[in-house]
Amino acid sequence: MLDGCRVIDLTTERGLLCGQLLGDLGADVIKIEPPGGSPVRAQGPFFAAASAADRSICWWAYNRNKRGITLNLETGEGRGLLRRLAARADFLLESDNPGELGRRGLSYGDLAAANPALVYVSITPFGQDGPKATYADSDLIIMAAGGVLILYGDEDRAPIRMSVPQAYLHACCDAAGAALIAYYGRLDSGLGQHLDVAAQESIGLAAQSTPLAAVIGGDDTRRMAGGAKMGPIRVPLVWAARDGLVSSVVLFGPALGVFTRKLVNFIHAAGFCDDATRDKDWIAYGNLLLTGVEPLAAYDRVKEQIANFFAHHTKAELFAIAREHNLLIAPLATIGEVLDNPQFAAREYWRHVEHPELPRALTYPGPFAQMSATPIGYRRRPPRVGEHNREIYLGELGLSEGEFTALARKGII
Amino acid sequence: MARKLPLADVKVLDFMWVLAGPGITRSMADYGATIVRIESAGRIDPVRTVGPFKGNNPGLEYSGLYANNNAGKLALSLDLSKPAAREVVFDLVRWADVVCEAFSPKAMRAWGFDYDSLRAIKPDLVMLSTCLMGQTGPLARFAGFGNLAAALCGFYNLVGWPDRTPSGPYSAYTDYIAPRFGLVALMAALIHRKRTGQGQYIDQAQAESAMQFLTIPILDCAANGTVYSPIANYDPNHAPHGVYPAAGDDRWIAIACATDAHWQALCAVMKRPDLAADNRYATFAARDARRAELDAAVAQWTMQFDPHASERALQAAGVPAHTVQESADLAADPQLAHRDHFVKVTQSVAGATAVENSRYKMSGTPARVDRAGPALGEDNHYVLHDLLGYSDDRISELVAAEALG
Repeated sequence: MLDGCRVIDLTTERGLLCGQLLGDLGADVIKIEPPGGSPVRAQGPFFAAASAADRSICWWAYNRNKRGITLNLETGEGRGLLRRLAARADFLLESDNPGELGRRGLSYGDLAAANPALVYVSITPFGQDGPKATYADSDLIIMAAGGVLILYGDEDRAPIRMSVPQAYLHACCDAAGAALIAYYGRLDSGLGQHLDVAAQESIGLAAQSTPLAAVIGGDDTRRMAGGAKMGPIRVPLVWAARDGLVSSVVLFGPALGVFTRKLVNFIHAAGFCDDATRDKDWIAYGNLLLTGVEPLAAYDRVKEQIANFFAHHTKAELFAIAREHNLLIAPLATIGEVLDNPQFAAREYWRHVEHPELPRALTYPGPFAQMSATPIGYRRRPPRVGEHNREIYLGELGLSEGEFTALARKGII
Repeated sequence: MARKLPLADVKVLDFMWVLAGPGITRSMADYGATIVRIESAGRIDPVRTVGPFKGNNPGLEYSGLYANNNAGKLALSLDLSKPAAREVVFDLVRWADVVCEAFSPKAMRAWGFDYDSLRAIKPDLVMLSTCLMGQTGPLARFAGFGNLAAALCGFYNLVGWPDRTPSGPYSAYTDYIAPRFGLVALMAALIHRKRTGQGQYIDQAQAESAMQFLTIPILDCAANGTVYSPIANYDPNHAPHGVYPAAGDDRWIAIACATDAHWQALCAVMKRPDLAADNRYATFAARDARRAELDAAVAQWTMQFDPHASERALQAAGVPAHTVQESADLAADPQLAHRDHFVKVTQSVAGATAVENSRYKMSGTPARVDRAGPALGEDNHYVLHDLLGYSDDRISELVAAEALG
């Protein structure tokens, strides 16, 4: 798909997934690290708890399908080499704070002068300019700024985030989508451009349009333990089964009420609810609650009957019932259970990637989509520090053995 | 002269609904693609019943969620149980470059809309099917919403307090991840088609896309046997790190100190030279071991002030901090205003309303966002007459056959 496309990946910890996506699609991605390696390699978790540079799971997670070289951009010679690489690249990806690369003469304008077809992608916390462009950030800060954190956690305690950082992963996916849209346009126009991705705006998608509430005069919403609030209506998403937890949703309206009708019919047949619950108008039910025709306490009573049904069945029983009767119930899996789910095995989702320096292959999440004509391949494991220096500097940039050795001695590569 | 939008020549027939699918085509519409969205009155899009609602009116044409997720698209209402409606679909397939759908595999085959049938009439078609678990495998027919895929992927056990059952992510978490990957796959297929003339079929399992966001815990589990459980706001690389109470009802501020410099600056802003000088907190390792003490000291300060005031003071000193923003904060956020994040548009039934802008800026081809999600059947005439070239008589026949319902 992107065969023959060259990507220069300058991203920090914030932006690694973007280049990996382009690499998955067949692009030739060159990950550039400072001499000694990216700081991400020092971040845990580590393979077998060995905190060595070539054992970082954090690094492996988002650098497959890339070649890796080292280059010191603090030096004029290093920047000169980068300009040579960028002059023949299709994409350049970066995630420094706004203006950082510009101070080194590597802004979009600097590089596009020599290569107007370049698609230059910047991933930052708040965007390239504006009153918060220089704000210090972290995953938690972006979650707070984007309107997502207020929706997470238990009402009687502080909001909480997802414990595996997510904000920049959303931004990286937006960056890859934007890069491909821009590249598609370039196929006709021949022109590249500068793409400005702000993590604050990217993560906002996960707030499910609740950020619009104040602007359009709708109800604001806030967090609820194991569920979501829809105006005054409390909708549980986590329920206790006999041996653990399941997710389910009991909703109403012309599309969603159909599932609730099927659920209460099943529960009624199993003897866990009365006729009154079975016979409620699940299509109109939301409006009945909102207008007070049906008191909220009546909905609470329905939820109690459903909770009682769940509590008398195991997760596996409930999931089997859901599959047979088209109900909205699924067990809350741990990561270990995810690895054992027969669905993913049947689709040969997991990829076992050899790392020659390790005692065994590592299991990675597989392709993000199955594409019939151009399947996503896991062609390269994440690179070791400077693994492709010779291949790229000697083989492709045409440096001599002497020049290469001199650059290495000066700490430039 | 303004450059043509990158997707100005791309035509999409869109059968998708709810959130995970329509998010893909919303992004394409922003950059110029023509999206014809099929919906039937007998099977309306469920997000029309989900808020926030314009003016708090829970009517089917007032959902801000629907308007936002479908901005820039054209609406054609078809009753697919009618043979005449299916003929319209086949004409649209001939017109389109891309078909996207989120039905069950069985339904598409029953209508004759599966990929093999459609590519017989459009050999270079790019088709994307998106569903929770994929088109194959024992769970292929397990349908539902993103909360279920999030449960099966393991996201729920990553949000919560160690002493309680998991809180879980908000609503349907995989529905906010999947559209990004769907767009990337679809754009890659369109690039491939433009270069080679070859179409293809994309089978997107939303769960499989979403697990890209769990690569670290999956690798850690597969390699080391580590199973992650809820840890609230603990972060191994930041201390203090948390969400602290602010003055006001349910107001909070997030603060994350990664370095000694952050910690010293935080102490300075809090006017706590005693803490700054205290050796028990001098290094990251020391602070890591005394998180509860730090959290209490920080909360004692934050609870006195409006979160925006604390945020400005802390950021001025270089400390990562931000108000935990609710909807009203976002509406007033100067950064979002600077980026024109909220765009005023008119919806044919609900009237003046707003949607969110594209989530990124393109310097050469800025997004075009000038239309809310369309009302049911709003563009029937335009699609049939202008795009497909149907005569008025033909359109009247479709109306008479009740195909446009």
